[in-house]
Amino acid sequence: MSGRVVRVAAIALAIAALLAGAGFAASLNFTSQALTPYRTCVLSGTPATTTVAIDASVRQGSATSNFGTITTNDIASANAANRRLYVRFDLSQCSPAIASSAVIRLATLRMYATVLPAVCRTVDIFRVTATWTEAGITWNNQPFGTAINNPASGSATDTYGAGTATGCENTAAASYISGAVVTADVAAFVAGSATNFGWMLRDDVEGSATARTQTYSAKNLGTAGQAPQLVITYVTVP
Amino acid sequence: MALRGAALLLAATIVPSLAAAFAASLTFDGRTIGMDAETIPRCTNAGLSVLQNVSGTTVISLTVSGLPSACGSATLQVTVNNLITSSGGTATVPSGGGQVTVTLGTAVAITAAEQVDLVLTGP
Repeated sequence: MSGRVVRVAAIALAIAALLAGAGFAASLNFTSQALTPYRTCVLSGTPATTTVAIDASVRQGSATSNFGTITTNDIASANAANRRLYVRFDLSQCSPAIASSAVIRLATLRMYATVLPAVCRTVDIFRVTATWTEAGITWNNQPFGTAINNPASGSATDTYGAGTATGCENTAAASYISGAVVTADVAAFVAGSATNFGWMLRDDVEGSATARTQTYSAKNLGTAGQAPQLVITYVTVP
Repeated sequence: MALRGAALLLAATIVPSLAAAFAASLTFDGRTIGMDAETIPRCTNAGLSVLQNVSGTTVISLTVSGLPSACGSATLQVTVNNLITSSGGTATVPSGGGQVTVTLGTAVAITAAEQVDLVLTGP
């Protein structure tokens, strides 16, 4: 009789062990494949009538004239004939909207260059801190004032090189320039810690004795494949 | 008497075991796993560059660059939505990372605002 009791107890223990094993096995079965989601909002100055992007060039040599409807924008360094480029994108047009808690991984300003100088020039990108309008901005009323080489290069958000000389960062005309990274600015716009007035691009050293001009397609050219763009890559859950 | 004792022993052993087994199952609460996205591993947190390749007035493909080697061999799924139409495509990330171009199933017209969703699955 006692042998039968031992057998029953052994069976019970075996069943218990199996069940416990099943429980642990359930824990061990859970594995997750890597899953890496990103979202990108691409804002483009197209068609020409859009207000998603606004752009304009200001010219020292025509200090009271507005060039908000011109089809090309220049950045130039020249004696009393410097030119700057202003551009702004309406981030609220991203759909779905970028949440204020989103983490901006990369924001890139893309401008389509049609003419580059023969020598490599450094272009500074500055976050604009006051309002301006496409139809109203001139050299004389621009947010950064009329003094050349202002603001200081050191306060630029980013810089890139442009020129056909060998070794320059961007050597090819008829293509979008690369290297204009504005991630920190866009992150501040999205988080609400800075107001989005766009950017100003100028030659790093204005007032060159030899005129150095680079030309970019403007929104008003109306060519979708050459429109100014802002590409924002972000994640909603870090 | 001895049989009744064995039966009690059996019950006393199996019931807690069953409870343990079911409890282990119950911890796999789908809602908990689904909501805690940080438990899902990612191959990168880098800022990926996403460039549209255009033909005329349409986007025909996307080039995604800045992919680290940790994402090598992952499957990249891309969807472009211009708020009117959407299209997508899939490509495999090179084993060493780098960049990959994904051709869209159908070209998407360039508009003022477009949404691009990227999902890297694996490796």
